[in-house]
Amino acid sequence: MIVLVGLNHKTAPLSVRERLFAGCQEQVGLLGDLQAIGGVLEILYLSTCNRVELVAAVEDVPQALKALKYFLAGQGSLTNEEAAACLYGYQDEEAIRHLFRVTSSLDSQVLGEAQILGQVKDAYRQALAQNATGVALNRLMHRAFRTAKRVRTETGIAANPVSVSFTAVELAKKIFGSLSGKKVLLIGAGEMAELTGQHLIGNGADEITVANRSLSQAAVLAEKFHGKAIGLDALDTAIGDADIVISSTGSPAPIVTEEMIRQCLHKRKNRLLFLIDIAVPRDIDPAVDGIENVYLYNIDNLQDIVDENMKNRRREALKAEQIVAEEVTHYSHWLRELEAVPTIVSLRGKAEDIVRMEMAKAQSWMAKFENGDREKVDALVNGIVNKILHAPVTVMKEESAEFSSQDIVAAARHLFRLDD
Amino acid sequence: MINLEMTMLALSLLVCTLATAGFLLSLLIKKIELAKVSTWILAIGFLFLTLNLLGAAIHSSGWDNFGSRHFLSIYAWTISGIYLGLQLQTKTRLLGAFISPFILLFLIAAVGQGSDKNLVPPEWQGWLTTFHLVLAIAGEALFVLASAAGAMFMIQNNLIKHKKPGSLGRLLPSLGDLDRINHLGLLWGFPLLTLGMIAGAVYAALVWGSLWPADPKVIWSLAVWIVYGVLLHQRLAIGWKGSRMALLSCVVFALFILSAVVIRFCFSTVHNFI
Repeated sequence: MIVLVGLNHKTAPLSVRERLFAGCQEQVGLLGDLQAIGGVLEILYLSTCNRVELVAAVEDVPQALKALKYFLAGQGSLTNEEAAACLYGYQDEEAIRHLFRVTSSLDSQVLGEAQILGQVKDAYRQALAQNATGVALNRLMHRAFRTAKRVRTETGIAANPVSVSFTAVELAKKIFGSLSGKKVLLIGAGEMAELTGQHLIGNGADEITVANRSLSQAAVLAEKFHGKAIGLDALDTAIGDADIVISSTGSPAPIVTEEMIRQCLHKRKNRLLFLIDIAVPRDIDPAVDGIENVYLYNIDNLQDIVDENMKNRRREALKAEQIVAEEVTHYSHWLRELEAVPTIVSLRGKAEDIVRMEMAKAQSWMAKFENGDREKVDALVNGIVNKILHAPVTVMKEESAEFSSQDIVAAARHLFRLDD
Repeated sequence: MINLEMTMLALSLLVCTLATAGFLLSLLIKKIELAKVSTWILAIGFLFLTLNLLGAAIHSSGWDNFGSRHFLSIYAWTISGIYLGLQLQTKTRLLGAFISPFILLFLIAAVGQGSDKNLVPPEWQGWLTTFHLVLAIAGEALFVLASAAGAMFMIQNNLIKHKKPGSLGRLLPSLGDLDRINHLGLLWGFPLLTLGMIAGAVYAALVWGSLWPADPKVIWSLAVWIVYGVLLHQRLAIGWKGSRMALLSCVVFALFILSAVVIRFCFSTVHNFI
């Protein structure tokens, strides 16, 4: 049976997550310790900045939940209250669903983010390397990856950017088409402008100029982009050359005025100009937006688009939940079928033993059989045994897949005296 | 042969209807994949249309059997050819949603027309007329393209200016690409139309002894030619770009359609075959 124990950004404050993260980092051979816990058959350990989780295949669920929670609390030196408030434990379908949701990024802080899948894959690779997983977890993890892939391709959960800087890049693409050969001007050496500049370069823009009140600061940032540094006095010329301008200075009054843009229009030959103003108070006079072929977005405009995209992601998440539900059903079906397997194996074993014993007894009178007759009797006996076993085995598989395997397995063990 | 030709034309009409429906639906449900499929469907229609025209060319001797139907099919063929050619270079599948209705209109008109009207009188037939017709049609087809791109530019521009790019904005091509298509349409359309008109004028001078016969179609076309010439000049020399060009090419195109319709139905003209 599958259990999942852990904590995440929703249940635990950063201070607790930090402690647990650090505790687990230090511990060498963590997986080995976990495997040594009684009743734990297979185990996987996942740790990211937002969550620490243990997924295990166990014999006794309540006991395992308790032991794993105790283990995590010990690692993070959590108090009893903290452990009770932060740690969650799921079993069976709930545990499977939780893992599938995590892998598909439905449980992430930023819905639909792409990193978590890689992190889960790494965790699985580690567990695999230490032989900590077996048939149940291997299948579970493959199903989880499959679910994540389906969610990504069948829903639009990761379709539109939900960060301001990526939204700016997407807009730039909608304005210019390809960004290759486009010139970017950063006004102010802020972190946000730097990040957006980086994304623009990553998408093909190739010339960056940094303008700043302090030329030395501009030079530091320009160095990073292999660009050019200028002072604010050369802004007019720089805007005349630029295609994309990102402004984020701390200036109290607008530093890019309507007049400035109008004057360079002729020199620009009306090339399209995309202005991104992420400063508060604003750096670029809003009246600029009225000029033909000039597109001005301020931080609120970008945030509105981000919000809209986020809303879309939440809508898509509903579809994703549907996919997760389907995959959970698939896996639990398979897992329950798996639970009947030991009983089926021992039932077949018992039947084979009986056949072998009876055939041995019959050895004396079968001795006078002519060539080939003995094989015929063998085939006959095996055929009968298989026919008789076929129905109980099939029913056991079907019943345990549909419902719980417990009752039917217990009945079979009792009927055929498998435990004697 | 006529039957095979008509079958091809009917097939291309059917396929183009399908493609147009696909394009419009892709605009409606905002799925670019459907526009991609429709582009392929349109390519099949283009193939049928090519077969139809080839059949007509082989079958006829000179212009004898060329009537309205063929001219209209040539229009449809040229526009789809230009659109498909463009798709090899840019990824602007949705342009099809704006172009394919025109192709469809020309095809419907073509199917509705007889071919036996023998609309280019035998005494006019000659390589100069062919030259005139083919170039004029190609030039006009490129203006259709430029204007369709202009219309899309205005929609996209409006969405981006109002800070509402949304799903339609995501679907439409970028402003840069649309402006480039508008530019290409004008840049290639204008010289072709110019050459076509010169050929017509030379022909008129040779046959009728007058460079500019007082034909309403000729006068309107001259007006349209001048306006497009001004547009191209503004674009190349003055550096007009983007939304202004988009708006103007749409206005000029509307004027052009209007002139074509008015002249076709209200005036008697030597160009009454289309």
